[in-house]
Amino acid sequence: MNWNRKSLLAVEDLSPCEITFILDQANSIKNKKNKNLASGSLSGKRIINLFMEPSTRTRVAFEIAAKSLGADIITISGEASSLTKGETLKDTAMNVQALGAHAIILRHSSPGSPLFLSKIVDVPIINAGDGAHEHPSQALLDIYTLRERMGDLKNKKITILGDILFSRVARSNLWGLLKLGAKVTLAGPTTLVPKEFEKLGARVTHNTQSALEDADAVMLLRIQHERQSASHFPSLAEYAKVFGLGQESLSVMKKDAIILHPGPLNRGVEIESELADSDRAVILKQVSNGIAVRMAILDLCINNSSSKNHE
Amino acid sequence: MNKLSVQNIDLLGARIIDPVENIDEVRDLFIRDGTLLHCDDGIKKAEKKYQLKDHTILPGLLDLRTHNRVPGAVKSENMKSLTRAAARGGFSSILTMPNTNPASDNPATIRYIQDRIKQYSSIKVFLSGCLTLQSKGISIAPLGSLKEVGVIAVSDCPRTPSNNQIFLNALKYAKMFDLTVIDFPQDSYLSTDTDVHESALSLKLGLRGNPRLAEELAVQRSILISSHLDIPIHLSSLSSKGSVSLVKKAKEDGIKITSDVSAHHLLFTQEKISSYQNCSKLYPPLREEIDRDALLEGLKNGYIDACNSSHDPYADHLHDIEFDLAPMGAIGLETAVSCFIEALRLKDPYPELALKMSSNPHRILGLKLPSLVPGGEADLVIIKNHEPWTYDCFNGESLSHNSPLHGHLFSSKVVMTVSSGKIAYTNI
Repeated sequence: MNWNRKSLLAVEDLSPCEITFILDQANSIKNKKNKNLASGSLSGKRIINLFMEPSTRTRVAFEIAAKSLGADIITISGEASSLTKGETLKDTAMNVQALGAHAIILRHSSPGSPLFLSKIVDVPIINAGDGAHEHPSQALLDIYTLRERMGDLKNKKITILGDILFSRVARSNLWGLLKLGAKVTLAGPTTLVPKEFEKLGARVTHNTQSALEDADAVMLLRIQHERQSASHFPSLAEYAKVFGLGQESLSVMKKDAIILHPGPLNRGVEIESELADSDRAVILKQVSNGIAVRMAILDLCINNSSSKNHE
Repeated sequence: MNKLSVQNIDLLGARIIDPVENIDEVRDLFIRDGTLLHCDDGIKKAEKKYQLKDHTILPGLLDLRTHNRVPGAVKSENMKSLTRAAARGGFSSILTMPNTNPASDNPATIRYIQDRIKQYSSIKVFLSGCLTLQSKGISIAPLGSLKEVGVIAVSDCPRTPSNNQIFLNALKYAKMFDLTVIDFPQDSYLSTDTDVHESALSLKLGLRGNPRLAEELAVQRSILISSHLDIPIHLSSLSSKGSVSLVKKAKEDGIKITSDVSAHHLLFTQEKISSYQNCSKLYPPLREEIDRDALLEGLKNGYIDACNSSHDPYADHLHDIEFDLAPMGAIGLETAVSCFIEALRLKDPYPELALKMSSNPHRILGLKLPSLVPGGEADLVIIKNHEPWTYDCFNGESLSHNSPLHGHLFSSKVVMTVSSGKIAYTNI
């Protein structure tokens, strides 16, 4: 297929073919089959990592991905930018474009902010997480990791457990997994997993055993203290007791079910420390797969944009 | 006062509707020195004669929810642009909300606004004052002093006191001065920091949802308090199906509750924000089709008494930002009448329009009902039936452009507004 997008704003926008195409590209990169990319397909390109919220994995993975493709990448963080002086995101982005950026990777607390920027600037916008809306590159690397372990995801049962309400990772994974034919269960406390998610195509349960027992993979989500303006559960200790994954959970889960977590981990809350380090968990695999997936995203979007401009 | 110069005019052949006097007929009207006549008195010659076949004339319209930016944010709207926008939209009167900056909770601010009205307004501007100081819901505002300088209604719109005791006492206190109390029913805790209606769509977009319950709890509170104190309370800008049911029951029980709805909520649902369109981020939020249906039914059946413009202007630089950071609200004065006509889908929408945007709003505020009987001061609106026009927010009178209706094709158009005997707007 031909890749026709300049920006990657949301997994919801992607067709199943487009998702598969990115994952196949990432696979070629990971297995060093794609010689064009190895030679530096983004050589001479300038990418701005505009990170208005804290990030370790995503920011560094995009930096490594961009550098691996030969691009120059500059990271601007919220605290270090003129946004702290009252400059609007719109003005910051227009200035970044005027400085010759060929793409902007944006992380921002406002849902829809990548779409907002894509209407203002001409360069590709890569969404690196927008509030509780989407985190496409994370979901794509999660799905890549699942596919790597399980092959075709059609009819596979994937449980996403934890703080769904505030999670952009859950939303992007939900769209991506549904598009590839998987069955998705969203689980967690009633206050963090509204029933209305069923209207988006998921099964919703608040019973941990029911969430775990027939899952082929369990994706845990971090409890996000910073996004919870109101109290949604009594304490981290109670959360860990009712919804945390521990050794005893393994007796409920399928023998070959794997455990994912987008990080950062709250050891002892979402998952017991030993389990996070066990071979059931593919958490570090996710991190390293993230580089190949992000290389594929950058290459497809920026080179598609350049070829269109050239035309 | 800033009025157009032509004042002795003949309005010939239009249908005139006056729900107060039960008039619905085709006839000529004459305005002479600001007075409305049914026959040409022959004393003064008309400066202009208007042939108005296919036009409808209604008594002057009054908007119950206009957010004024003077003082505070004159780049978003000044008194001239505000009142010109109202006149262009067919309103000969507006009631401004007290969320100015500083807040309209003291006589000095009210006098300042009145000065600006005298200088720049082409229509009648009625002022509401804060119910509590700075509308913070902590201390009762000086309602007696506000009344003395001309305030006719009190409200904490777009908020309501969260403390029931303060709210109760403020209402008791307002009763002494015969001030109309307008409550903006939104539970402060459930509505704080919300962006849109709570639904599968808000979950999908990752936005903070305002549940119907936020409104319905506050509606029920006002109904109970109105019943308890036996005082009238007007509920502004209902948006949920449940609210309509609560108001219906209250009215059937004889409780002194009145209510209104914004014209935007009659025409649109939450789908308008499905791609994070800031201009459709309203307060209360646009909800679902079942809510819109209930609002339309409530209006037609009289449970909802009036329709407002919810005119809430924000300059482009304040509005053209990330969705969750953008303020809630949209301009609406120039489109409310056309919006109402389109949303109701009635074969003959004009009697309803006269009732819901003229008689009832005046009645709610305790004002003399405008009428088209001879001998009175001319105060009316002329609408051309079946006149397609496209709204261009950049070509309107308002200084702000935050409208969900930009580019919308309407079927009927306001062509003249006469306020206090003078032409405030005409494009005939």
